[in-house]
Amino acid sequence: MEPLIFILAGTLAAATPLLYAALGELVAEKSGMLNLGVEGMMAVGAASGFVIVALTGSHALGFLGGAVVAMLLSLVYAALTIVFLANQVASGLSIGILGLGISAAIGKEYEGTTVTTFAKLDLPILSDIPFLGRAIFDQDILVYGAIALAILIWYLLEKTKLGLIIRAVGESPHSSHVLGYNVALIRLSCVAFGGAMAGIGGAYLSTAYTPLWADGMVAGRGWIVVALIVFGTWMVPRVMFGAYLFGALTLLELSIQGIGFNVPSQILSASPYIITIVVLAIISRNPILIRQKSPMSLGETFKANS
Amino acid sequence: MARFKIEPRTENSLFAPLLVSSIAIFLTAIAGSGLFLFYGKSPSAGFHAFFIEPLQSTYGIGEVLLKMGPLLLIAQGLAIGFRAKVWNIGAEGQLLIGAICGGYLAILFEGSSSPFLLVAMVVVGALGGMAWAGVAAWLKVRFNANEILVTFMMSSIALQLLYFLVTGPLKDPAGFNFPQSITFGEAALFPIIMEDTRVNASLFLGLFATVIAWVFIQRSLLGYQLIVGGLAPAASRYAGFSANRSVWMALLIGGAAAGAAGVAEVAGPLGMLQRNISPGYGFAAIIVAFLGGLNPIGIVLSSALMALIYVGGDFARLSIGLPSAVTAIFQGMLLTFYLASSFLLTHKLRFSTTTVSVKSTPEAAE
Amino acid sequence: MKKLSRTLTKTLVAAALTAGLSLTASAADKFKVGFVYPSPVGDVGWAQELDKGRKGIEAAFGDKVETVVVENVPEGPDAARIMNQMASQGADMIMLGSFGYMNDGLKLAARKKDMSFIHASGFKTADNFGNFQTRNYESAYIAGIAAGYLTKSNTFGIVAAYPIPEVVGIINTFTLGAQKVNPDVTVKVVWLNSWFNPSKAQESARSLISQSADVVFSLYQDTPSVVTVGEEEGVYVINTSSDMKKYAPTKLLASLAIDWVPYFTERVKAAMDGTFKGEPYWGGMADDAVSVASLSSDLSAEQRAEIDKVTASIKSGAFHPMSGPIVDQDGAEKVAAGSAISDGDMLGINWLVKGVETRIPN
Repeated sequence: MEPLIFILAGTLAAATPLLYAALGELVAEKSGMLNLGVEGMMAVGAASGFVIVALTGSHALGFLGGAVVAMLLSLVYAALTIVFLANQVASGLSIGILGLGISAAIGKEYEGTTVTTFAKLDLPILSDIPFLGRAIFDQDILVYGAIALAILIWYLLEKTKLGLIIRAVGESPHSSHVLGYNVALIRLSCVAFGGAMAGIGGAYLSTAYTPLWADGMVAGRGWIVVALIVFGTWMVPRVMFGAYLFGALTLLELSIQGIGFNVPSQILSASPYIITIVVLAIISRNPILIRQKSPMSLGETFKANS
Repeated sequence: MARFKIEPRTENSLFAPLLVSSIAIFLTAIAGSGLFLFYGKSPSAGFHAFFIEPLQSTYGIGEVLLKMGPLLLIAQGLAIGFRAKVWNIGAEGQLLIGAICGGYLAILFEGSSSPFLLVAMVVVGALGGMAWAGVAAWLKVRFNANEILVTFMMSSIALQLLYFLVTGPLKDPAGFNFPQSITFGEAALFPIIMEDTRVNASLFLGLFATVIAWVFIQRSLLGYQLIVGGLAPAASRYAGFSANRSVWMALLIGGAAAGAAGVAEVAGPLGMLQRNISPGYGFAAIIVAFLGGLNPIGIVLSSALMALIYVGGDFARLSIGLPSAVTAIFQGMLLTFYLASSFLLTHKLRFSTTTVSVKSTPEAAE
Repeated sequence: MKKLSRTLTKTLVAAALTAGLSLTASAADKFKVGFVYPSPVGDVGWAQELDKGRKGIEAAFGDKVETVVVENVPEGPDAARIMNQMASQGADMIMLGSFGYMNDGLKLAARKKDMSFIHASGFKTADNFGNFQTRNYESAYIAGIAAGYLTKSNTFGIVAAYPIPEVVGIINTFTLGAQKVNPDVTVKVVWLNSWFNPSKAQESARSLISQSADVVFSLYQDTPSVVTVGEEEGVYVINTSSDMKKYAPTKLLASLAIDWVPYFTERVKAAMDGTFKGEPYWGGMADDAVSVASLSSDLSAEQRAEIDKVTASIKSGAFHPMSGPIVDQDGAEKVAAGSAISDGDMLGINWLVKGVETRIPN
């Protein structure tokens, strides 16, 4: 395994948990829901996914369970913001804290234990291609699933009526409400989808990417996901590009160390955030651009009868 | 929901905030009992360890006050901004920058015994926090960049900056390469104000901030402008206030408070710069601010409660063997229930309020 | 509602009662030892080994001692609270399981002169505050020999926690051990700046493997993360703290095992007898504090014989793994031929030997 193959193959895997969670969060944000609890949702997904795989040996059940548990947590957020009209920022942070606590509680008995690795797909001809075979075609199904999901969500948001409605709700919940759409239901579904995807991302992390349980192993990825959406200016292809870029940066940091360059690793760790701020400033500067990209009602509580 | 008649509250009830907090605490107590039972502990033992034990000794009370200090200080600063609908969620980063700036001064003047050193550290720390938050204000005003996202990302950058400094330029040369600075001299530390505890004079910073916040919000024209500027930019422009000024003021005040809190930590219980400076005070303070109803007096109470949960959680780990996860779950539940019940601040329910609120909590969703 | 409020009253009454009870219970005259661990007690790893030491104390002293544990205590402002609370609950002795507890521990020790403290891997002591470390560099030398024999690529990768002297010393002797039997060996290091980051540790291991390392050394990573990667990728792995054979049944080259039972037992006895003094303890192979466990069966009989010979000479004190001539990365002579490094120099070692490619970060 040469360094370049490692970085390519590693990037695909490292980006996968980020990509699932980011695609889910993107859908939620498109509907106007800024859920800052991604870290907590990924953590409960990771813990419950791990425990299920440890008990049943089935990765499929682990991903499913991780998705369901994280979705339940996201429903708490949905209830707070949609039913009780609570502030989105505070609600997201509170389920984030709750999620980290619950995740530690779920995983307590499994600290430091491992589960079997998630099997890689056997792609007979493709994986025999020199270089590319091992770099790209030696992965598990969820790595490709993330790409498929990205395409699906892009199609859904850009090409379907449902996507149009979701975007309309995110743009102006009031007009959508007047037009007769059930804003609450749409937002709730988007948040729940976001929760489920964060759960899959978390479960992927604990059962496939690093198949062992350690409390706190999500290690800030949920926050990277939030940054990723901004970096990708709320557009699927760019979010996807961002996930791979962020994934590559973490691996690059380690490779550079091994090769012997003396770059402070903190500069590389901070760079995604710096780049994201610059991107945000650039798009926000132009009123037309920001209108086109970011959901206008993002973070605002919507009350039907006002 | 439709089964109940919901009406917007028109008048500001004095009773409502109290009711909301009581409901939230009541619901947390019920859910907390369930949590204790889940861990095979009797709720009485759990609540005793969490809420009574810390208050039974001077040391325990001291720990609660020690923990309360930074939460109070930061939350007062943030609440002013939140009232103006400016969402600074990066207090954690502003705290770290404050700690770095103040700490740098302590390292620079190692061995100094000047009483001004500590004062200078607080000032420099507050300025550092302001500058860090100021980046977000500038980006908001100049480029219209969303301050929630910018302040949050600036936090992650601040953390990396701290890591870089304690593994590099600010590392103790005689510290065997461990990622920490020299230990600060006496003059760079807040004096202890309660014997046999770790409570230091930085607690006064929080209390001082409370008074300022109260005067600022209740009595000053500036405070009024800030809030109007945030709530209704168009109206405020008409009245001659600037929305931009609200943004600047909100973020700078929050940044200054968080920066000073960072100094209080490194010049208080830590006495040095290291990788772990804050156990998430910046984020917890956001919760404290909301839990206190964004009201200066409410925040005093909410920061005390939050501090008690932290300290009580540690006590419960030792005295009844509860895992540390319980602390976070408790805090998360408290805020969740508070946010749900704060619906009653703006709405009235026709039927008996207690039955309704119990039924419609997010517990059902879990 | 009525029922609820009745339960609540009951709860409060019960709480008041337990408050009274706990005051009387603490008067029992068992010798109470508190343990503070930086990470959760997992299946294997640093905290698990410390906990084995604790169980050793319980086994040795039976109901004369009582131990209390708080795990997963971050090295920050909150660690002091845990220790102080242990003290206020009547602990006679406290074991502090991580470097970062040093300053808070010393402060507490200064206030509680009648208590005894032992602290892992620090460099400060006081009358009632001793510290303890392992001479893992001894077992690392043995592991280095084994790795030197079995490598094909002549490249080793080390996933290391912090560039502190303890870690630097281990990297040095590991490299020297390998060079003893295989002069062409080079070593690459990834500094994680963490005791506990499984994902990053695995990424680092894979990154080192991609740079042709065929032996990967998990240096103070508290989980089996790197070890499992070794098994998966088919490269040899070495780890610290616990025997991790079960996580890499075919590819574990060696585990640098530690055993705290003798030291902890001796210290608790001293504290009980009132003879405790705050001294540094540096346990090596001679003290049975460190050993090499689960050496790979891929080593030939001759190779094993050589390893046994070196082990015996280190154990007897006849041979020091840092014996000259040793030159650093820049070729400057650090230890002259015919002499060995002093304990003092070893405790503060801040340079890497020739053959290690990565530098100590500044």
